Amino acid sequence: MSILGAAAPPGAIVVNASTPLWYLTRATGLVALVLLTASMALGLLSSVRFQRPAWPRFVIVGLHRNAALLALVFTGLHIATTLADSYAPIKVQDVVIPFISAYRPLWLGLGTVAFDLMIALTITSLVRTRISYRSWHLVHWSSYLCWPVAVLHGLGTGSDTPVTWVLGLTVGCVALIAGLTGWRLAYGWPSHAVARVAGALAVVLTLVAGTAWLAAGPLQPGWARRSGTPPSLITGGTRAAATPLAPRRTRITARTSTAPRPASTAARPASTAARPASTAARLEQAR
Amino acid sequence: MSVAGMGTAAGQARPAGRLPRLIAPDGPLELAEHIDRYGPVPFRDALADFGDGSLISEVEAADLRGRGGAGFPAGRKMRAVARAGRRAGPLRSPVGTAVIANGAESEPASIKDRTLLARAPHLVLDGIALASEAVGASRAYLCVHDSDDQLTGTLSAAISARDRAGMNRVPIQLLTIGGSYVASQETALISMINGGGGKPAFVPPRPSDKGVRGRPTLVQNVETLAHLALIARYGAEWFGALGAGAGSALVTVGGTVHRPGVYEIAVGTPVGELLRQAGGPTEAPQAILAGGYFGGWIRYSDALDVPVSDPALRAAGASLGPGIVMLVPASACGLAETARVVGYLAEQSAGQCGPCFNGLPALADAFWQLAFGRADRATHGWASQLLTLVAGRGACHLPDGTAALAASALRVFGDELYQHAAAGPCPRVRRPGVLPVPGYPGGRA
Amino acid sequence: MSRRSGRSGLRVNPVACEAHGICIELLPELIRSDPWGYPLIRPGPVPEQLLPLAKKAVAACPTLALLLTRDD
Repeated sequence: MSILGAAAPPGAIVVNASTPLWYLTRATGLVALVLLTASMALGLLSSVRFQRPAWPRFVIVGLHRNAALLALVFTGLHIATTLADSYAPIKVQDVVIPFISAYRPLWLGLGTVAFDLMIALTITSLVRTRISYRSWHLVHWSSYLCWPVAVLHGLGTGSDTPVTWVLGLTVGCVALIAGLTGWRLAYGWPSHAVARVAGALAVVLTLVAGTAWLAAGPLQPGWARRSGTPPSLITGGTRAAATPLAPRRTRITARTSTAPRPASTAARPASTAARPASTAARLEQAR
Repeated sequence: MSVAGMGTAAGQARPAGRLPRLIAPDGPLELAEHIDRYGPVPFRDALADFGDGSLISEVEAADLRGRGGAGFPAGRKMRAVARAGRRAGPLRSPVGTAVIANGAESEPASIKDRTLLARAPHLVLDGIALASEAVGASRAYLCVHDSDDQLTGTLSAAISARDRAGMNRVPIQLLTIGGSYVASQETALISMINGGGGKPAFVPPRPSDKGVRGRPTLVQNVETLAHLALIARYGAEWFGALGAGAGSALVTVGGTVHRPGVYEIAVGTPVGELLRQAGGPTEAPQAILAGGYFGGWIRYSDALDVPVSDPALRAAGASLGPGIVMLVPASACGLAETARVVGYLAEQSAGQCGPCFNGLPALADAFWQLAFGRADRATHGWASQLLTLVAGRGACHLPDGTAALAASALRVFGDELYQHAAAGPCPRVRRPGVLPVPGYPGGRA
Repeated sequence: MSRRSGRSGLRVNPVACEAHGICIELLPELIRSDPWGYPLIRPGPVPEQLLPLAKKAVAACPTLALLLTRDD
């Protein structure tokens, strides 16, 4: 690890006080996604009356609730570390009001939307016995919106999207939920046939559109800029993307080799003049 | 049976022990004739109060029972609604209650309500107005079956005539109800009026606490309201002079009798006498079904002396229900008749409660086997088990009533069951059905 | 009627019940399953020692169909 805040040679990994927070933000974000996926999966299993000798119904429902609460906790940590991290200009109001942040407003805003929905889901579930079943159920349906929005937030805001295992994890979660949602839609056929078919179409459309967007968006070079990262945070030229989450490729070399992607371009010589010393020296993937 | 000289004075003007009370032979009367004969509607012109002299006290003194099938004391129901209405509003303020006159009569074997509405509409409408005043209602509804357009037209005209004469204390809305069996159940009616699906609802909350638009609601059968209109004029004592205190009742007599139709009898009249009035059997009789499709069977020979009253009929294994006595001949098979009815009732499930929409079709299948197929011990055992599995486990009484009917058939037609088990279905199962089942030949659509 | 002397009974709202079966798992002493997965509740008041479990079962029902009623 090198000196805080100092201008670094090209290709160097530079860390400063905010870097551990950045790692925490990404880590807690991923964990929250996994937990949210688990909760969603267990909820879907519950609705199709899944049951095995080792998995009684009350266990599935209980785990569903616990996973959801844990997801909320990790989302809270994720938000706290983001706020504490001074690198990106994210403010407190961005936590609950979507699409007004200075940093990737749309994609961060999706995270805000998901968080707002999580709060609504949690509160209504905690007071379930005091509100009508209808009201609770209606709000609970918003989980079908909350989860994909959270995934999109992760793909659009997260800097680890191109990292293989992160991408793989996300795709795995999507596959799991898509499959279980299909099961949920099929269970009880043919009652409410129209709604089921509409739901299936929505799932397919979302998958197709999502995949297309993923391929054309975050997985393409220049996503940081296109997604609304403030220009001051984007350094010109490639830098060693210090992603401790990536497989061990981080070496201080003159040549950069960032996330293992065939499309990775040859390192361009760093132009030190283009990097103001006052900006955080952490490197964004500027592709 | 003619009514003696009428004046407009209440009380003694009406002979106490004479029939008919509800359906005059020269009905239906126009509004003016109606007022001539019965006098003006005796409104008390007071807010609902419970002291002596109030209508509710009079009805309680008369011990008027509901004529829709449940037999619940009408006075008690009215008192509950009136009381609830006094504090059902915000901060326990009074709120306008609602009255529903139930003339929907979805029981296929019953025609007394539509007959009453056709022949004496103003008595029913009097009852609605009086009940509305007594329970502090702000609105009233009259529900009828949607299969009778002519009746709807007549009632509409009658309501308008009363509006013009200022005789309706609250607006009365005429509603037609679809034909499903459970649609005329009281919470189903309330659900329909509230814009819901018209299916029975779980109780609590009871209609007397929370019904139409969340207000305490009085639901009464139209015949009950007609009796109420007479009690208001002539008093509780007059009412109890017939039927050993229980008054008179309309009974639909059907099946293989010479003159099927609606008869008004003093409660407690023996079944044999009622059948005699209906002309007696057209062929050798076998059994009667009393109480409609939630009722029970009684062998003809056992039935003749049974008084037509709910306690007596229950003691004999049946019930009064909404006042139905059907005579089934010896040429029919009681098991087959029951099987058809059970099949119909199973189809009438609202589909809300698991034990009902699962258990009743299973019961119908089992009964079908007993009547038309293999009546083996396993099927009989399964049918008996189903009876205990469905009873009391629905939001309405469809499963209980069906189970009661089926249980009664297994008990009364035990011999036939034995024969079916030994030798297969008897030839009598092929006789066209006597009990009216919609969808079957001869059944009402 | 003092609160202490009131006894509690279990009831099912048959319209709300969707046969999730969680109450049957949590309270087998009082609730068993009918052939179609719907709960059959043993009649009578809930014994004192089972009351906490009964409350848990009521809270666990996904559709809030299980009810604990005070004797009245």
